[in-house]
Amino acid sequence: MPQALPNFSSSVKLKYVKLGYQYLVDHILTFLLIPTMVGISVQIILLGPEEMLKIWRSLDIDLVQILCSSFLIILICTLYFMSKPRSVYLVDYACYKPPITYRVSFSTFMEHSRLNLKDNLKSVDFQMRILERSGLGEETCLPPAIHYIPPTPTMEAARGEAEEVIFSAIDSLMQKTGIKVKDIDILIVNCSLFSPTPSLSAMVVNKYKLRSNIKSYNLSGMGCSAGLISMDLARDLLQAHPNSYALVVSTEIITPNYYKGSERAMLLPNCLFRMGGAAILLSNKSRDKHRAKYRLVHVVRTHKGSDDKAYKCVYEQEDSQGKVGINLSKDLMVIAGEALKSNITTIGPLVLPASEQLLFLITLIGRKIFNPKWKPYIPDFKQAFEHFCIHAGGRAVIDELQKNLQLSSEHVEASRMTLHRFGNTSSSSLWYELSYIEAKGRMKKGDRVWQIAFGSGFKCNSAVWKCNRTIKTPTDGPWQDCIDRYPVHIPEIVKL
Amino acid sequence: MDLFPRFLYWFPLLCLFYNLWKKFDRRRHQNCYILDYECYKPSEDRKLNTRFCGEVIRRNKQLGLNEYKFLLKSIVSSGFGEDTYGPRMVLEGREMSPRLEDAVNEMNDFFLDTIDKLFKKTGILPSEIDVLVVNISMLAAVPSLSSLIIHHYKMREDIKVYNLTGMGCSASPIAINIVQNIFKTQRNVQALVVTSESLSLGWYTGKDKSMILSNCLFRSGGCALLLTNKLALKEKAMFKLKCLVRTHHGAKDESYDCCIQKEDDQGYVGFHLGKNLPKAATRAFVDNLKEISPKILPIRELLHFTLLTLIRETKKKCTKTGAGARPAINFKTGIDHFCLHTGGKAVIDAVAQNLNLSEHDIEPARMTLHRFGNTSASSIWYVLAYMQAKNRLKKGNKVFMISFGAGFKCNSCLWEVMKDLDQDGNVWKEFINSYPPKTIANPFLEKYGWINEEDPDTFHVSDDYVIP
Repeated sequence: MPQALPNFSSSVKLKYVKLGYQYLVDHILTFLLIPTMVGISVQIILLGPEEMLKIWRSLDIDLVQILCSSFLIILICTLYFMSKPRSVYLVDYACYKPPITYRVSFSTFMEHSRLNLKDNLKSVDFQMRILERSGLGEETCLPPAIHYIPPTPTMEAARGEAEEVIFSAIDSLMQKTGIKVKDIDILIVNCSLFSPTPSLSAMVVNKYKLRSNIKSYNLSGMGCSAGLISMDLARDLLQAHPNSYALVVSTEIITPNYYKGSERAMLLPNCLFRMGGAAILLSNKSRDKHRAKYRLVHVVRTHKGSDDKAYKCVYEQEDSQGKVGINLSKDLMVIAGEALKSNITTIGPLVLPASEQLLFLITLIGRKIFNPKWKPYIPDFKQAFEHFCIHAGGRAVIDELQKNLQLSSEHVEASRMTLHRFGNTSSSSLWYELSYIEAKGRMKKGDRVWQIAFGSGFKCNSAVWKCNRTIKTPTDGPWQDCIDRYPVHIPEIVKL
Repeated sequence: MDLFPRFLYWFPLLCLFYNLWKKFDRRRHQNCYILDYECYKPSEDRKLNTRFCGEVIRRNKQLGLNEYKFLLKSIVSSGFGEDTYGPRMVLEGREMSPRLEDAVNEMNDFFLDTIDKLFKKTGILPSEIDVLVVNISMLAAVPSLSSLIIHHYKMREDIKVYNLTGMGCSASPIAINIVQNIFKTQRNVQALVVTSESLSLGWYTGKDKSMILSNCLFRSGGCALLLTNKLALKEKAMFKLKCLVRTHHGAKDESYDCCIQKEDDQGYVGFHLGKNLPKAATRAFVDNLKEISPKILPIRELLHFTLLTLIRETKKKCTKTGAGARPAINFKTGIDHFCLHTGGKAVIDAVAQNLNLSEHDIEPARMTLHRFGNTSASSIWYVLAYMQAKNRLKKGNKVFMISFGAGFKCNSCLWEVMKDLDQDGNVWKEFINSYPPKTIANPFLEKYGWINEEDPDTFHVSDDYVIP
């Protein structure tokens, strides 16, 4: 008993020391400025009112000079405010909710798998083991073409899926925000694996009869991190075009990419990828400053393509029988960890409070100069962000990131629950996670959100948003009918 | 105390001048310059001559006499010569079952050849590239083709990369639009734009007439460009972007459906080109011209045109009879050279008629169509290369580029030539002296004209028939 007590008290003392240090360093400017201001004001007050009037009269300024100076000052202020980079606001976003008829429960999936791969029982077993450990739930959805035995991925079915996902999301967004289609100036659509001609962006222009001078872009092949790449492009475009709305649509069309062969490493995406899509409205209009939900603070992109292993870890290729599928290599986690480290190195200085940066700098200098055996200091990102949206790539990705960033289970709850309810919806998963946090009523004004996504290539992109207004628990959205059941405990292995 | 009022005046004035200078300086750094560009010339073993085209058509067992007659008519009037290039899998006889590997290798050949040459020409290192935009319409691979380039050239980690697909033949100005916007917000940026088309997986193997046409029209080609807004490189730049206008007619159903990739009745995926394609193209073209003309033509010409139109309108109101021909804008007052998308002979003829261009003006486009075919988004760069090879581009000249694409889009841009350009490192250099040839008719008619005489009931080609 006596041994336990000193440890406890010393750890509490340490905690308070750390808190005090953080407070001091974070607010150092205030600490320096306040005494100076107090000193000056005391001096001025000591002078007395008559002295001040005497100084003022001796300046000998008349009306004209006052007017000119004030005019100049106003002009400078206007120029300064006009030349500041425009803020990009997220007015609102909408996620696609698949109908319940597209649901694929474990039993359905395994039965279809057994019938489709009847000659390859080992592959069926492999799929079952993946599904048990995947972290997916029983309500994830696949498009209708995949429900056939064998699946019928025609181009028409793919277009049908694209139309359903994208148009539902955009309709829902229009209803939420109340904007008219003719107001949209920029359109960006990103879908990795399906790129028909004319593009999906042309399909959106056709359906909603958008203006003929719309700036439309169709990005593809950029993997699960394409949503944040579209955000980066939208931000650059909104800087160059004042007073505009940008509509960004992120989705992944599953129909044409269902792997029909039996090579094991390529069956993995079949088990994980599910239907989903999101439509996001961005604006740089000053009138949206009050009704926007979030403000975009930073977007940081890291591309590890120059490294051979990183480039080959997510690769589309044909198997020995000529069937096309995506091959996921075994060292995906290691590469993801390294890409994350690169990304953190860039984003750290931008978002971490001064206290963390100072600690990191001290340990870095210490390691270089004094003793290389010092443990590298991992900055505490929980100081910089209130919420984390980690791309729901798979259970292993979320576990790895939780360990690397030292996050609690509440921080990664949004990612785990999205993986459970919707599966890996690729680039739109970040928006389902954000929607979860809002549905739980946890989003308050001033909260900072960090969205991290990984993608083939190998890319790690992250975006930092700041919440603009406290968000009331939404009555619509993809989580509306099931949020009360969450969070759910997801066991390590679900016995099938 | 005398110093204090002086300070009160000068300080705001200094701030004002500083802000004005900052604004002006920013504008100077927003210009988009082309440092250099390189067009792709595939290897000689990929040429599709007349005899080989006949072989390819014969190999498709689905086609019958009617389809042969239709194809003959199309190819004869296509404006192609004997030297256009096709994808390797067609030349190896595997067009019925192309593989993903073929498509990726096709792109790899292009990247390694062209981008290497471009870096060597300009002396820029791959690690200096800040922005990469790749547009290849019909192939979306994982990882993207832009990642393939980054991987091969070991580019930096913080590179901004965008991979556009599905945007059709008018995608070049769209890629340049992205770069132009990035240039407006960041300084000292160097961008690499790569544009091409992947034909391997889009080869149509059915017999729908509207879809076989794409097999006859599209050919292999590509272009890589280096753009920058660095003021230090202004002296080395070839072109400066003056303005860029995009028009999207996707809102109209007929425009959207006239050029669409879909399955035919038998389930073969192909590129459907509808009958109202020329009409949709003309509408988009007119809209685009309406928007870009005020930006590129001198005021004198605009006033002249307005005056003539007003006179014509008043004449129409006063007299009951017709008021004579519509006044035409003379585009040559603001534009010296025209780079037209080589969509086909009909497209070039239609644009030439609309803009009142002479044979000399459309010679580059016609010759590009003859020598390289319709290389989709990169065709306008081949046309530009022809003009450069013929020593037509002098400092201060204005070059107008216009391209059409699926959707239906019409994009155009105006470039100013920064210095007198010569033939160095041009894709046309080796054979420019043989252009323009005396005749551009291809020998298809004399070789296969006999098909027109055949009767469907008696037509039969034996399996061992060898095309002479």
